[in-house]
Amino acid sequence: MESLHGLGTTTDWVVMVIYFVGIMLFGSYFAKYNRSTNDFFFGGRRFAWWLISVSIVATGVGSHSFIKYSAKGLEHGISSTMTYMNDWFFMPIFLFGWLPIVIYTRLKSIPEYFEKRFSPTVRFIATIFQLLYMIGYLGIGLLTLGKTITPLLPQSFAILGMTIPVTMMGVIIGIAVITGIYITFGGQTAVIFTDLIQGLILLLAGILVFILGINYLGGFDKFWHLLPPDWRLPLADFNKPPDFNFVGIFWQDGVAGSVGFLFMNMGLIMRFMSAKNLDEGRKAAIFNVLFLLPISAIVVSNAGWIGKAMLGLVPGPLNPGVNPDEVFVAVTHIIASKGVFGFVIAALTAALLSTVDSLINAIAAVYMNDVHAPLKEKFKKKLQSKDIESKKELNAARIASAVFTGIGILATIPFSSYPTVYEAHGYFHSIFTPPLVAAIFLGAFWNRFTTAGVVVTFLGGSSLMIIGARYPGVLITPIAHGIPMDPVHPYTYISALYNTIVCFGVGIIVTFLQNPLTIIATSIKKIPNHKTYMSGTVVISALLILMIWFNIGGLPLLLLASFVLSFFVALTSVYFLKFNPDAHLEGLTIWSIARAKEIFKGGKINERDGEIVKVNWKLRSDAEEIIYVSQKDMERMSAEVGDLVYISDARKYLGGLKSVHTRLGEPHNEEGVVYVGTEDKENAQFVAGRILTIEKEL
Amino acid sequence: MPSFSHSWLPFIYLYGVGGIFFIGGMILIKKAKILNPAKKLDRRWKWLLYFGFFYYMAIHLIMILAALYW
Repeated sequence: MESLHGLGTTTDWVVMVIYFVGIMLFGSYFAKYNRSTNDFFFGGRRFAWWLISVSIVATGVGSHSFIKYSAKGLEHGISSTMTYMNDWFFMPIFLFGWLPIVIYTRLKSIPEYFEKRFSPTVRFIATIFQLLYMIGYLGIGLLTLGKTITPLLPQSFAILGMTIPVTMMGVIIGIAVITGIYITFGGQTAVIFTDLIQGLILLLAGILVFILGINYLGGFDKFWHLLPPDWRLPLADFNKPPDFNFVGIFWQDGVAGSVGFLFMNMGLIMRFMSAKNLDEGRKAAIFNVLFLLPISAIVVSNAGWIGKAMLGLVPGPLNPGVNPDEVFVAVTHIIASKGVFGFVIAALTAALLSTVDSLINAIAAVYMNDVHAPLKEKFKKKLQSKDIESKKELNAARIASAVFTGIGILATIPFSSYPTVYEAHGYFHSIFTPPLVAAIFLGAFWNRFTTAGVVVTFLGGSSLMIIGARYPGVLITPIAHGIPMDPVHPYTYISALYNTIVCFGVGIIVTFLQNPLTIIATSIKKIPNHKTYMSGTVVISALLILMIWFNIGGLPLLLLASFVLSFFVALTSVYFLKFNPDAHLEGLTIWSIARAKEIFKGGKINERDGEIVKVNWKLRSDAEEIIYVSQKDMERMSAEVGDLVYISDARKYLGGLKSVHTRLGEPHNEEGVVYVGTEDKENAQFVAGRILTIEKEL
Repeated sequence: MPSFSHSWLPFIYLYGVGGIFFIGGMILIKKAKILNPAKKLDRRWKWLLYFGFFYYMAIHLIMILAALYW
């Protein structure tokens, strides 16, 4: 395979710089509407569904999609779209099960859910898995950025008489340093708002490439018939070849990937949480999956299809030996004029950069929220003044960002051994997603799922996953649906099915064994020195984990070690960790969502259907977060004193930018008038003289 | 002509096994009484969820037919 270099011209670089500066200015302008990032994520909850939908495009498409799907489009054709079009199966439980739980319990992170549902220890374990998942994602993002930017650069630079070769790892390290600077100066709020415009630009850039490509080839009919028949099918061959087969990708992406992305990707969930209410978040998700995802599938893959069609032309403009991961850049370079090429690459790299720095920020946030803060609390350090503490926190967050960026760079090393980013990403999803997916699923949808069950899902499940990776021929082949085993990268995709089965399996079995485990734990508590014995089982469990990790002994011994480990972990969980169904289930499973709403509101909910009313507004002098409307308007809304309401500027094109959630106070008699306090006015940025709308939420 | 294992088998598997996950999810939210059949908006959500399933099935069906016969 031949690697590209030096494709960018001066015009392209000028367009790229202008684009980057423009995007940062855009983000900074919108940042003034947020009084804090926290407000935007958790308190603001103000935006219309269409704004959320567009910003989700940048989150999903912006990461690595152009590179990896174009590569598969070149190698296998239209079936590169299948991973974008298999997300609907889990929409019912996401929209009506998980999303209400996340919104009504005001979760700030996924590990926080595990503390509320189970215990602080489970939160700690979940944090480790969540960090591994996010660092892996960061590694994929940095690798993709390296693969995008390397072709634009020359093969080497000459500085002070020294020739410095341009290598992919060098480019990745350079990008990581630039990203760190971008985070420091741009800030998270700017990053979030740029996603709104980036989503649209990404779609436009991808459609532009498709139109230019079709035009270059001489029309759609010619393009279609230049593709071999197998390249025109929307789904891959059922079980071959090992590096791209339908059934493996269904389990890796359609099941583990879709559930992981919907249920665990805090960046995505935060977008839905920023919708003005739950129904608006659902609309955003549905519009995204039904309309934007099929369009995105074409947008991210089409450079590969155009590239494949080009290979059928004589003479062909595309080098047949092109590296698949570079086909997007190569095809765009052929079909686009100077400047347009720069624009498309700028849109792609800016979105990638945005995804990468969002990820670094999110990892640092998880570290600060789920590791740093609990550790600080545990060791109860003497607190200094608020200013000093806040400076210390900021420094800790910056150091965490730098350290995790370094780990992210190291994470690119194993991923770069895969022929394409697609396979690296597939492998990553197969390995890191199943334990968290199983734990979230069973926790949110099964009241009976216990603390011992979730701990064993993480630790016992992972140990069986490691054994599966070591002995794929014995453990994964029976469920591989006939996929041939690649000895270098065995079962890149279908291993997700094995991993999902073992994680769910051990969690369910241990939950069903809760009663015998409780009896054993109770009996142990009657033995003298029982704490010493139980501490011993923790040490033995740690040794067994090491034995499995370092592959000591053959398969039978490792399987036995894994079962013993699961038993000891389950027993120590029952012995040490307390579980109170009243505290750990209320509002935290699908079976108690009505209760979650009451907790969210802080009182009885009002779900009577009412109208949206239009009113003029007057400012009160106090800052109380409460509004006063007329008796008549309250009746039209079917609202009562204390109800949660959403009050917004009536101009719909603002998408809720000038709005706030507040509560209803005692009614007055001035029909069509609302009295707003100074705090609500500041939060919403209401403009004098503008009409407002009010709707009851709960 | 592409083989059955490349054309129709993946389609059958996708909407067969995927359909089990989908129907399982619908049964779960029905049993948890999250969608109230007495409410018009909830009835609309329910039908929208079913629509999405058949919408994607129709897209894949048309794409396979186009690949095989156009």
